[in-house]
Amino acid sequence: MPMGHTATAEAGSGGLTATEHRLANGLRVVLSEDHLTPVAAVCLWYDVGSRHEVKGRTGLAHLFEHLMFQGSKQVKDNGHFELVQGAGGSLNGTTSFERTNYFETMPAHQLELALWLEADRMGSLLTVLDDESMENQRSVVKNERRQRYDNVPYGTAFEKLFALAYPEGHPYHHTPIGSMADLDAATLEDARAFFRTYYAPNNAVLSVVGDIDPEQTLAWIEKYFGSIPAHDGKRPPRDGTLPDIIGEEKRLLVEAEVPSRALMSAYRLPHDGTRACDAADVALTVLGGGESSRLYNRLVRRDRTAVTAGFGMLRLSGAPSVGWLDVKTSHEAEVPDIEAAVDEELARFAEEGPTDEEMERAQAQLEREWLDRLGTVAGRADELCKYAVLFGDPQLALTAVGRVLSVTADEVKEVAQARLRPDNRAVLVYEPIAPEQAPDAPDTDVNEAAEIEVQEEEAAK
Amino acid sequence: MTEQLATMEFHPQPQAGTAKPWAFPAPDRATLPNGLTVLRCHRPGQQVVAVDIVLDAPLDTEPEGLDGVSTIMARAFTEGTDKHSAEEFAAELERCGATLDVHADHPGLRISLEVPVSRLSKGLALLADALRAPAFDESEIKRLVRNRLDEIPHETANPARRAAKELYKQLFPAETRMSRPRQGTEETVERIDAAGVRAFYDAHVRPATATAVVVGDLEGADLDAMLGETLGEWTGNTTQPRPAVPVTADDTGRVFIVDRPGAVQTQLLIGRIGADRHDQVWPAQVLGTYCLGGTLTSRLDRVLREEKGYTYGVRAFAQVLRSAPDGSGAAMLAISGSVDTPNTGPALDDLWKVLRTLAAEGLDDAERDVAVQNLVGVAPLRYETAAAVSATLADQVEQGLPDDFQAQLYRRLSETGTVEATAAVVNAFPEDRLVTVLVGDAAQIEETVKSLGIGEVTVVTG
Repeated sequence: MPMGHTATAEAGSGGLTATEHRLANGLRVVLSEDHLTPVAAVCLWYDVGSRHEVKGRTGLAHLFEHLMFQGSKQVKDNGHFELVQGAGGSLNGTTSFERTNYFETMPAHQLELALWLEADRMGSLLTVLDDESMENQRSVVKNERRQRYDNVPYGTAFEKLFALAYPEGHPYHHTPIGSMADLDAATLEDARAFFRTYYAPNNAVLSVVGDIDPEQTLAWIEKYFGSIPAHDGKRPPRDGTLPDIIGEEKRLLVEAEVPSRALMSAYRLPHDGTRACDAADVALTVLGGGESSRLYNRLVRRDRTAVTAGFGMLRLSGAPSVGWLDVKTSHEAEVPDIEAAVDEELARFAEEGPTDEEMERAQAQLEREWLDRLGTVAGRADELCKYAVLFGDPQLALTAVGRVLSVTADEVKEVAQARLRPDNRAVLVYEPIAPEQAPDAPDTDVNEAAEIEVQEEEAAK
Repeated sequence: MTEQLATMEFHPQPQAGTAKPWAFPAPDRATLPNGLTVLRCHRPGQQVVAVDIVLDAPLDTEPEGLDGVSTIMARAFTEGTDKHSAEEFAAELERCGATLDVHADHPGLRISLEVPVSRLSKGLALLADALRAPAFDESEIKRLVRNRLDEIPHETANPARRAAKELYKQLFPAETRMSRPRQGTEETVERIDAAGVRAFYDAHVRPATATAVVVGDLEGADLDAMLGETLGEWTGNTTQPRPAVPVTADDTGRVFIVDRPGAVQTQLLIGRIGADRHDQVWPAQVLGTYCLGGTLTSRLDRVLREEKGYTYGVRAFAQVLRSAPDGSGAAMLAISGSVDTPNTGPALDDLWKVLRTLAAEGLDDAERDVAVQNLVGVAPLRYETAAAVSATLADQVEQGLPDDFQAQLYRRLSETGTVEATAAVVNAFPEDRLVTVLVGDAAQIEETVKSLGIGEVTVVTG
């Protein structure tokens, strides 16, 4: 495979290896050694996300994720946080459409504690889960929703676009944060049932990466997780199959108290795990990645009609992926002018395809993103879990960058022609109104918006 | 009801193994013939190299009425050089898989390059071109000015940004640069042109008062040769930096409500200034502030989040504004977060109760121990990437601290007792010397806030 301009043959994976194991109860385990720094990352992916939620209970997967930090049989309220932080570790949990993950990064000599904690809640959460925790975390999550979505300009754009891009009743029609009404309606019994249905060792993948002794680590995993019973009550998510093309442009005008006009679009793209998805990633990078992309050059530098212009991509495996265009206008610039310019650039790109130089640039940027993702033990642990849960093979994480780098200009052109068309998008247009009339509430990163965590990232210095 | 579960086998909580030694890395320090100071640090395995440039261009050296010129200049570094147009420069940078961020702040200007080590040489060449021969093209500067003007309404609309703007305005004397937005206001940014940017560059950008920090897996990279051909080619005079004016603030307890009719939450930012990293009390202040509001198990969130559910999270922090060996600097000491509108009064009441209880009863040994274990224990995690190490080394340079400051800080934190940490945090957050900014619905919250007795309440708009 020609990879002429790439930094190294094994760029991104840097000679990393991973081993796979499976306990008798079905828990899949992935281990990867790296002794450069005395730290170890533990990552646990449960194969459940907002796509598994049912009508009237949106937001339950994420609310439940919060309850996982409220103690279990041997761990008191908030003890999970206290013990990990007291051991010099950091931790969090996040929920997205397709999975819920929990992770701790520990000083290497504290690894066993993290495994013990994860096993305790996997096996015994329901022995302590009560109304008090439920009511408290319901309030916390509602405040999270207000803070991140309802009380910031354009905060609900992501939610609105997904509701447009995926039809009513589709498992991705609603986003992980859920609605206020559904958060209010969730009961303790819903939470218990959710745990019984999805939180089983045979519905999870555990990865441990870093300065570890694999034999010892596996022995600890067997000791703490091995006796947790498997169960098979899981209901598969509703079918996410959709035609390749939306077939018509879906459109919503939002009049809200926002600082400027904005144009946001969601294009339906190939599923993650396919070669066409990697090609789409390259296409979006050429068109809207960084400050040398076609759309940035056109709208921000030349036409000067936009203050920001870019494409992001949300890779999804259980439904079509999304290419997310975000343009905020400059001064009095009009959205129709911007839309015309965008359409002109997309049509030209579909016609011509990328230049050699554009391919080189886009692939260098994508390679860099992989270097960043695999540059920490926590990032590596998360990627290994992702490929194990969604594609059944953690090794694919280590070769992912190679696949993106092997995409050809013809493949990029082909996916652009097939997908980046007006009849394959949902469009959201924001028109500012004066505060008195406003019924509604910085740039939205599509991957950030798709993932919500139990607490905001912190840094003590 | 008791949950009937197939049982698992429970084991006692495991004990920690033996800690492996880890120390914050010590950089090598050198000076290039052009006067540029270089700190370098080899971090095995870190394939993305971080390069931080620290320029001595404090915001208070911006000419009168031109607030924001430092920001525009910083952004203009990447908008064309003597070799590349603006578009070409951006393309060349991205062709290296590099990112280049700029930030103009009170102590000075920071340029952060991150680039895969395989393309370090090319990345350094672009960085050097940007510093040595920026084009400052008239049309590009116009675009950056307009772009900056477009950003301001977005910042005003964001509750957290709006709160910060108000706190700085109220806390610092009106005539000081610190009272005004770092990136300028509509009135000042509008006046900035290419000539103004060039003049600021000529006055403040030179290798003799700059430092380059380079961190990453440098094995096999001939850094000396690379630097010689790139940043080594940058020239300039040898003017020395001038002393800074001491930071002062009025922390008389009072409240400002920035009115946002209909807001579903109130953004709160409560602050004053206090000891910075040159003060002996810094480690104790770090420790005490962590106990007050460093994480969701700290005192504030234990009540406001985990007991009452008023918030997604409230944090207390100390953030250096400017710090210098002569003691002229200060840190912003603040508490921030957002609470739902109906519970704004009760949340503030609880917040003050937490402060009063802390002052009356002090910290306990157990929470001090956990805080030390966390702050010291997370160091190897926190400094896993080259960028994290580089940013901390650059901060130290900017603040006139020794290169081993962070390494020593971990020792000092371990030696700080409960009594010292208590004294530091109580001094840092005295209940009657805090300026409170609330961005929220005044009609809903004003009366209850007035009844709390945390200071005179003023409602502002905009």
